[in-house]
Amino acid sequence: MTCLPEKTDKKLGLLIDLNICVGCHACAVNCKEWNTSGITGPMEDLKPYGDDPSGVWYNRIHSYEFKKPNEADRTVYFPKSCLHCEDAPCVTVCPTGASLKRSEDGIVLVNPDVCIGCKLCSWACPYGAREYDTSGGVMQKCTLCVDKIYDETIPEDRRVPSCVSTCPAGARHFGDFADPNSNVSKLAAENDARDLFPEMETKPINQYLPPKKREQHKSRSLEHKVSNVKDALLKWATLDFTG
Amino acid sequence: MHPALSVIIFTTVSGMGYGLFIWLTANILLGTPLADDDVVIGSVMAFILVATGLVSSTVHLGHPERAWRAFSQWRTSWLSREGIMSIFCFGPMVFIAGQYYFDLGFENFVNLVAVLGLISSVLTIYTTSMIYASLKAIPAWHNNWVILGYQIYALSSGGVAYIVVAGWQHHMIVVYLLIAALIVKIATWINIDRHRGQYTRESALGLTDFGKATPFEPAHSQKNYLQREMGYELAPGRRAIMRWFALGCGFIIPALLLYIGLPAASLILLICFVGMMAERWLFFAEAEHVVRLYYDKDTV
Repeated sequence: MTCLPEKTDKKLGLLIDLNICVGCHACAVNCKEWNTSGITGPMEDLKPYGDDPSGVWYNRIHSYEFKKPNEADRTVYFPKSCLHCEDAPCVTVCPTGASLKRSEDGIVLVNPDVCIGCKLCSWACPYGAREYDTSGGVMQKCTLCVDKIYDETIPEDRRVPSCVSTCPAGARHFGDFADPNSNVSKLAAENDARDLFPEMETKPINQYLPPKKREQHKSRSLEHKVSNVKDALLKWATLDFTG
Repeated sequence: MHPALSVIIFTTVSGMGYGLFIWLTANILLGTPLADDDVVIGSVMAFILVATGLVSSTVHLGHPERAWRAFSQWRTSWLSREGIMSIFCFGPMVFIAGQYYFDLGFENFVNLVAVLGLISSVLTIYTTSMIYASLKAIPAWHNNWVILGYQIYALSSGGVAYIVVAGWQHHMIVVYLLIAALIVKIATWINIDRHRGQYTRESALGLTDFGKATPFEPAHSQKNYLQREMGYELAPGRRAIMRWFALGCGFIIPALLLYIGLPAASLILLICFVGMMAERWLFFAEAEHVVRLYYDKDTV
């Protein structure tokens, strides 16, 4: 049903720390690994070794260079997947009910047995979270590894999305944003967590921690620099390199 | 947005079909003397135009055989509402064509059905326009000009079709409608040009306080679905050419030819149709999706 739930019991989502992410793409690779044989797989992978490979990925790792006057440039690696928005526009536009937001945990899913492949949901999403499977004729997206996080045959501490369990840097956190005492809620509250594209009024669940602000380096005084140069010259003049 | 031929044909042809049916039902209600054959031909033509559009729209579906499922989500989805309304409209079209052709003896119901046909046609065009106007992620569509535009282009192009079917008795009204449609189209473009650049990449990233962001390494080596579907870039220079072509063929030339009374209504309709196709092509090609902020656009 494409009516959004008034309230979800949980708000499961990811907290991604841009200060830690090193842009290694391991999360995207493990996502594909798990989900291609998961409930919404296979994930299309056409001509993987050809000139023009194409396919579906639920997670893409962008990178950006930020330039600000009087500051050194900084590079930010930016993993982007479905944000499981509270006001998900992709769900309400769906004409068939294939797109849905679960009332129990807030996960946004596509039912591949009902999807007609009209692609309107991908037009409605401002984040580019949905990709079309040309072979299956249906839309695909991040499931938050719904077939992993509830699997009781997996040890409890490993019941997290694949992108989280594989991140070698520990930049990705998974938890319930509806619970103020959860790991993600605490991290978000302590660290100036950001919504992507707040103007779109989608109320994304996933949050991003911004890169750390740089400490201002105290510029060394001219006097200090002059004494350094003088010391070096004296060393050459006296050919005394012992000090 | 990628200008897919199937959707361009769908919106242009079905818009013209509903416009024609609005003209026909309005004239029945106003008591305009119409030959029975003209009413039949007009209704059948409207039916064929709308049906062609609907069939064309299913071409771009991944699973056309599941299209019936699209009638279920009318509570939230404008696409679903459009599907239901478009099927509903076939009722009055078939009734009016049948009544005038076979003389079924339902004369008393003709006016009632004509009112139903007129209102449901207007509502169907409205639902079509709302599919686009409700998408916040595409600023060129997310405004009232799109809603007004779809109605008036349907009425102007449908009016030209009406002249082909039923003759020239109201041709000056069509001329005025074409001029009004021309003004709406120009106003729409002014609105698009004025609001270009309201969203920034930094805002899309949630990082507005770190200076200006430019893409560094691409996220993938080849174009993906998002870029193929939503990354369409109108070539510089082509915008102006296509805009003039759309204005000329869609509105100006048909209005002039109708005004001077060129006795070739079918030719005028053909010119108008080609112009409306160009207008609809631009509607997609000019619309920039905000997802491009994550890729090639600094602002949208």
